Amino acid sequence: MNELVKFYRNDYGIAFPSFISGGLGALGLATLSGFTVSGLVMAAGFVVMTIGLHFWNRNRHQMSLQAMEQSLTNHFQQEHEQKIKALQQTHDESMVQNCTNKIEIEREHIETLLADFARRFNELSNRFGVQNEEYVETVPLSIETRVADLVRQVDALIRHVDSKAISNEPQDSGIMGLDSLCQKVLPIWSTQIEMAKEHTEESVANLAQRFDGLSQRLDAAVVASQNTMGSHDSHSGIVELLENSQLELSSITEALSTSLAEKGKMLRAIEALSAFTEQLSKMAAEVSNIANQTNLLALNAAIQSARAGDAGHGFSVVADEVRKLAHSSGDIGKKMTETVDSVNVAIDDTLTISHQFAQQDKKTLANAEHIIASVLMHFTRAAAGLTDSAEQLRNENNAINNEISDVFVDLQFQDRVSQILTLVCADLNKLEQYLNELNSEESRGEVLRLMNVEQWLEELTKTYTMKEQLAAHEDADASIDTNQTMITFF
Amino acid sequence: MAKTILFVEDSASVRQVMKTALAREGYEVVLAVDGQDALTKLNGQKIHLIISDVNMPNMDGITFVKEAKKLPAYKFTPIIMLTTETQALKMAEGKAAGVKAWIVKPFQPPQLMAAVAQLVMA
Repeated sequence: MNELVKFYRNDYGIAFPSFISGGLGALGLATLSGFTVSGLVMAAGFVVMTIGLHFWNRNRHQMSLQAMEQSLTNHFQQEHEQKIKALQQTHDESMVQNCTNKIEIEREHIETLLADFARRFNELSNRFGVQNEEYVETVPLSIETRVADLVRQVDALIRHVDSKAISNEPQDSGIMGLDSLCQKVLPIWSTQIEMAKEHTEESVANLAQRFDGLSQRLDAAVVASQNTMGSHDSHSGIVELLENSQLELSSITEALSTSLAEKGKMLRAIEALSAFTEQLSKMAAEVSNIANQTNLLALNAAIQSARAGDAGHGFSVVADEVRKLAHSSGDIGKKMTETVDSVNVAIDDTLTISHQFAQQDKKTLANAEHIIASVLMHFTRAAAGLTDSAEQLRNENNAINNEISDVFVDLQFQDRVSQILTLVCADLNKLEQYLNELNSEESRGEVLRLMNVEQWLEELTKTYTMKEQLAAHEDADASIDTNQTMITFF
Repeated sequence: MAKTILFVEDSASVRQVMKTALAREGYEVVLAVDGQDALTKLNGQKIHLIISDVNMPNMDGITFVKEAKKLPAYKFTPIIMLTTETQALKMAEGKAAGVKAWIVKPFQPPQLMAAVAQLVMA
């Protein structure tokens, strides 16, 4: 740049004085020649020279500017290109480095994958029973050789599997389209599991509720039965009631037999009375006899008075009156006998009826005692049965309480099942999503990634919360001890 | 007076079972379906003991315990975790949050009730 400016200045500096001196020379020559040429022409010549010099100079100046511009443009372009080149170089270098690193990593990755693949392939081959003599440990060989090797083996295996598929039932031959099947079927499975979970949740909750009602009613029944039967040691309740009834009933029968005895006494008194009536009838007969004799005596007295004539007239009146009295006495005696006879008949009737009643009463009493005894016996037997059943009920109650505890434990399993199913559901969803991703990658033409089964299983393991989930995962014994609750106090 | 227990559990069946088991022992039971719901139950009413599940939607048990411990009225309420979770890491988290006992489901009612009685009395 500086050089260019210098060049311009120099050029201009050199040209200008040369023309000045040229002009001055011409003027000198003209003066010396004595101005043979007119001064006006000379002046015009100078003017023309000066103007020409000016234009030449301007032109020169412009050219020099152009040259300078050109030179500057070239210079900048060069510098720019150099810089770009340098940058490109560093970029390329780092890119190359990066790529080398990446290639190294990828190579290692591919090698591990290949080793894994080879191992699995070997397993697979073994599983299919291929005696593959071509398979060799492929550690030191180049990747190309190994891949070519594996491709060859895969071909062999495919041929083997094909032949097997033809000869046998289809084993793993239907694996084409498995992923799309999975994509379709996985959401359905999840939904089904979810539904089953909800159903069990609902029904177990209902079950628990009804079980609660049942146990409450059972408790109430046991309490009521204990109140009825009386507790084990105190004799309240039905047993005591029975004993009281027995006492009361026997007091009634006692009262009955007492009244029967009283009746007997009365009967005996009546019997004694009948003895008196016999005496009375005898006495009445005697009265009649005396009346008859008195009548005869009065008749004799009348006869004797008639014989005595008028003197005996008064006596005949007395004798007549005595006869009348004897008649009256005889009538009374007859009436007495009749009355005593009817009394006797009445007493006899009474006695007969009373004896009949007494016998009936005795029978009734005996019957009543028998009935009461048998009823009480029935009651006692029933009460004994009730006491036994109450005892049984108590035992049953204890057993049922234990059962209730066990049922409580079993009812809690729905929760565990639900958690396990939730986890399975989540894993199914994950698989579905993964398959979707694979599909979209495939459709975009990207390279399919290898499925990392080990990593998948490890991630699944991390989601477990229960011991038995892990146990089931490892195909170990997944049973749980429900008799012992794990309690940790902090 | 009956002691009141808050039971937090997302499974309806376990809620019902626990309610029955606690009611048989004569406790008053307040139920909540998750941590968030449980916090709304801590509204000033007297709660003698909290029993909570660990794995729940919306708000898990450990977060709920931490939130509950921030409330002055329930700062000293004893808390039992009742869960299927057996991982030592989770148990340590619970212990750090101030949980008094860790009980693994399924539980035997008599054994659970013994632990409950012990903490309610304390």
